[in-house]
Amino acid sequence: MPNIQWSGGQEHWTHKGDIRLFMWHKPATVQPAPAGTILFVHGSSMASQPTFDLHVPGRPHSSVMDWFAARGFDTWCMDNEGYGRSDKHRPINFDISNGADDLAAGSDYIFQTTGAKQLLVYGISSGALKAALFAQRHPECVSKLALDAFVWTGEGSPTLAERKKKLPEFLAKNSRPIDRAFVHSIFNRDHPACADEATKDAFADAILTLDSSMPTGTYVDMCSKLPLVDPLQIKAACLIMRGEYDGIASVDDLLKFFQLLPCTNKQFSVMQGISHASFQQKNHLMVYQILHSFFSQPEPSYRG
Amino acid sequence: MIWSHEYFVNREDVRLYVYRKRATAPQAGESAKPVLLLVHGSTVSGRNTYDLQVPGGQDYSVMDHFAALGYDVWTVDHEGYGRSSWSGRGNSDVRTGAKDLAAVVPFILQETGTEKINIFGSSSGALRACLYTEAHPETVARLGLSALVYTGAGSPTLEQRRKKLPEYSASPRRKVDLAFYEGMFNRDKPGSSEDSVPKAIAAAELPLVSEVPTGTYVDMCANLPLARPEAIPCPTLVIRGEFDGIAAEPDLLDFFARLPTKDKQFVVLSGIAHNPMMGVVRNKFHRALENFLKAPL
Repeated sequence: MPNIQWSGGQEHWTHKGDIRLFMWHKPATVQPAPAGTILFVHGSSMASQPTFDLHVPGRPHSSVMDWFAARGFDTWCMDNEGYGRSDKHRPINFDISNGADDLAAGSDYIFQTTGAKQLLVYGISSGALKAALFAQRHPECVSKLALDAFVWTGEGSPTLAERKKKLPEFLAKNSRPIDRAFVHSIFNRDHPACADEATKDAFADAILTLDSSMPTGTYVDMCSKLPLVDPLQIKAACLIMRGEYDGIASVDDLLKFFQLLPCTNKQFSVMQGISHASFQQKNHLMVYQILHSFFSQPEPSYRG
Repeated sequence: MIWSHEYFVNREDVRLYVYRKRATAPQAGESAKPVLLLVHGSTVSGRNTYDLQVPGGQDYSVMDHFAALGYDVWTVDHEGYGRSSWSGRGNSDVRTGAKDLAAVVPFILQETGTEKINIFGSSSGALRACLYTEAHPETVARLGLSALVYTGAGSPTLEQRRKKLPEYSASPRRKVDLAFYEGMFNRDKPGSSEDSVPKAIAAAELPLVSEVPTGTYVDMCANLPLARPEAIPCPTLVIRGEFDGIAAEPDLLDFFARLPTKDKQFVVLSGIAHNPMMGVVRNKFHRALENFLKAPL
């Protein structure tokens, strides 16, 4: 196994009851005060650092945390319970609701540690569902919410139609084994050419350094319990990021969700040449720019 | 100091006024700047929409804003508007406006040495820009649309406007004055723009015109849909002002969903009504358009 080093950030730990949760912080590298505090939320099959602080030799700006830190943002990610360095001992499947509870604990820690009052929250795949559920439960904590590779009802989702075939297996166990081939399948199921092989390999190395199996809870949720989020209850400004080739949701499902969002500060962006794991793909800088545009959009001085 | 220049381009016997702004004067041999063509709506001419000078106001000129960002910015007064001539034929409807653009764009390509330009249109200008792009997709890099309406279903503004459709249909011109300009800004959300804005428009427009064509009003009341999103291949941005009554959000999302491009954005901007570039929070509009126009990294 390669020797993966995580550098340039600070390790933090917080608690949800007696559960220890790992957090990773990369502060803004430019002055003055942070342009905002970002919490990145990972998906079903990887911990946080492989997704948000991945370094690949020869790949410019591979770490989204570094890219935003260089633009004045204070950046955080955390391993949800059951993932990476966070506690994994409870005999549960660590579902989306449990993940949203983790975010509540993590955000409390960030507020206490940094003095920030609200967060810019980005979530990908089931991380988007966790982030949306967290924003729904704690609207006071989230100023802007970016949902990448999101799915609402699951109607018309090719990926979930395939995944449902294994639902009995996921229901029978709290964890599922993963390996290098599985990580590659995340990219190859929709449109293999969206990511280069070196990045897929580095992503797999980073994930497998931390985990050899993943919880089943978010898979069970996405296969059998959608919708988990009520758009009418999300008050934050909201960005929906939709990869051109992403099979996790149909565009129609996402546009219906978008239409129901009550916030009048909202954006729907279709991302060319992107499938499901946007930050690990060839067009990652385009994805960063779309997210940065949304996070840096000025607050309205007039609200009617 | 922003550099500017005036031109006239002919479409048949119509003299179209074309206005250009850049950060610096063009120099022989320099590399081309990205070009942005701004397309005006039904009532106010191009220069007075996109280069509006408001006493005491800052950053009302979209042309100055984007020129300072490095764009080569152009606008045109459509037939019968502002400084352009009026043929006396027809009512300068949306299709005629698209023909105006088809006359002007080759001139811009020639002057700038570029092969493709970015186009932004607002209100009926968005419809003109769509029709032009459908007919000449090879010349459009990225298309920005604000205050767009697609089918008109659920539009409060058009429901009101239709009450005067017989009047608009009976004449190729309609009168404009300060009261009319004030109505444009107050119909959706009084307070979303400063009172000085319609006064500035009146000061700029009324020395040029006392009437403007009725064609785009007739089109929007009776002839929608005019644009075919399925025929627009380029990356496209749809900006929707929170308070804009020209269209219902589901109508615009229907348009957005039909766009075949895989590089598209739908942006709802809070605090903004029908004229985003002239609202109190016009900085949000500038930011949304600027972010879209940046080529994907």
